[in-house]
Amino acid sequence: MSTQETAAAKAAPAKTASAAGGGKVLLAVTGAIALAGIGLWIYQMSRGLVVTDMRNLSSWGLYITMFMFFVGLSAGGLIIATVPRVFGLKGFKSVSKIAVYLSICCTVLAAAFVVIDLGHPERLWHLIAYANFTSPLMWDIVVITTYLIVSIVYLRATLKAEKGQTSERALKVLSTVALVTAILVHSVTAWIFGLQIGRAFWNTALLAPMFISSALVSGLALTLIVVLILQKTGYLKADPESNSRMAWLLGIFVLVDLFLLFCELLTAGYPLGGQEFNVVASMLTGAFAPMFWTEVGGGILAAVLLLNKKTQASAGLVALAASIAILGIFFKRFQLLLGGFEFSNIDYWSITTGPAKWSDAVLNYVPTLLEWGIVIGVVALGAFMLTLGLNKLALKPAE
Amino acid sequence: MANTRLGMVIDTKRCIGCHTCAMACKVENNLPDKNWWNRVLTIGGEGMDTPEGVWPNLAMSYITLACQHCENPACVKACPVGATYKREEDGVVIQDYDKCIGCRMCLAACPYTGVRVFNWEEPKHQVGFPIGDANVPAHQKHTVEKCTLCAHRLARGEEPACIEACPVRARHFGDFNDPESEVSQLLLKRGHFQLLPEKETNPSVYFLS
Repeated sequence: MSTQETAAAKAAPAKTASAAGGGKVLLAVTGAIALAGIGLWIYQMSRGLVVTDMRNLSSWGLYITMFMFFVGLSAGGLIIATVPRVFGLKGFKSVSKIAVYLSICCTVLAAAFVVIDLGHPERLWHLIAYANFTSPLMWDIVVITTYLIVSIVYLRATLKAEKGQTSERALKVLSTVALVTAILVHSVTAWIFGLQIGRAFWNTALLAPMFISSALVSGLALTLIVVLILQKTGYLKADPESNSRMAWLLGIFVLVDLFLLFCELLTAGYPLGGQEFNVVASMLTGAFAPMFWTEVGGGILAAVLLLNKKTQASAGLVALAASIAILGIFFKRFQLLLGGFEFSNIDYWSITTGPAKWSDAVLNYVPTLLEWGIVIGVVALGAFMLTLGLNKLALKPAE
Repeated sequence: MANTRLGMVIDTKRCIGCHTCAMACKVENNLPDKNWWNRVLTIGGEGMDTPEGVWPNLAMSYITLACQHCENPACVKACPVGATYKREEDGVVIQDYDKCIGCRMCLAACPYTGVRVFNWEEPKHQVGFPIGDANVPAHQKHTVEKCTLCAHRLARGEEPACIEACPVRARHFGDFNDPESEVSQLLLKRGHFQLLPEKETNPSVYFLS
């Protein structure tokens, strides 16, 4: 054996080792940030939720926004893995396992945000002991739990199928169940808000369809970004054909989402009066305008980049467009949540624990640093889970 | 109509906006700092106790706002654990602090701005020791609370504290399902309104106009 050959033989394992080493560093860093986040949460529990900027008249904030956002992000993976199988279409085989795993991580984070927002997480068992099934929150807890279990079972079945231990038929049945649960999860999350008669910003029948379309946008965009990064690092083989089909699909989803938003705004704004109109006005020209126009402008830009054949071929531009789309959906979620609390039904001056009268639609709620810190901790937990899964589970496409 | 439907009638023509009912509620129920279950709202100009309009055409009146004890409450449906519930026997909407998980779904569901309060931290009291009625359940950190129609006083056959305290007798308490009751009679004789009738919650609090 020549010395050159020996060197090459040594270099190859060394490269894998360094990749694994990189994984370890990533695990250590994200794990440490997640632990710090847990520390902040413990501090929040001991001092009380008073350390957030939430108050009686703006009683939900960044945590519930992130809950909505991560329920939405979990959509993409499961949908692109299941839809082709259910309808017998050409799928995205090379990425489907990673996509489902990504879904699972996002669902876990969504559930985590609910727990973080809760005043009494130690009373979670009340949800089982005293379940009240007229509450959309109760529906959501049932559906999200089912969704998480179905996603895990589906991923396991896919891994087994590769070893020939699960039939294609069983997979198809599971895909159908998973797809129905996914549609339900977004609808039910929307109904937590959409069924509330006291909140003009939320109380629209279009909310569930909009949650599904926004979920498709942010979920597919996240999957696309993760896939592009994994292709760059060599974890996945480059697959331009599959990438550009995903990009095209994302472009269509963005347009559908913008269309639904337009329908909602037109219906609410057309009377030129009333609370619904105030909501529209605050989006177009008021306190929400910066978020709203970033979302709309960014959406249009993203759709152009994603649907154009030339830009579609550039991984960089597609990743940029996908990031803009995700940011747009985050803004959409945030303004929806804030908007629900922004308009008061009984708008007279009085003593209160906060501003009593805010017809001027000045934003009442600004998340504190602690809230952002906890959010960063939870997102780091997601990155930790993702890295761990990519290293420990057989998520690479079968040769 | 067998059950009673307890509620209040508040005379906006008599109310002078003195906040005595709000204070009586705060003391009786030992409310923690910053918490108000009953508040006085000025229907008028830009600020408390200011009239609307241009002199000499000025108008100002008051309403007091607390839990409306709705016949069709939005909060009861929304609570995932049944911690907020409507009593079958008298229609009072009430909270079980020990059940509440602190999700604040009811705060999102209630259309009547600001009638529910959440204890964002360990309840503190200005005077450093509990005051008010001994039978009021202890306030808990991270739970939602609101007007109970003084359930502890009802249990003894007494009227809510705010009714008793009103110096101009603008507040009346009784059973709307009893046609002979004072509140039913007042609604027969006087013009009246409920808050946000379009929400179809049918509040058990009426305002005489």
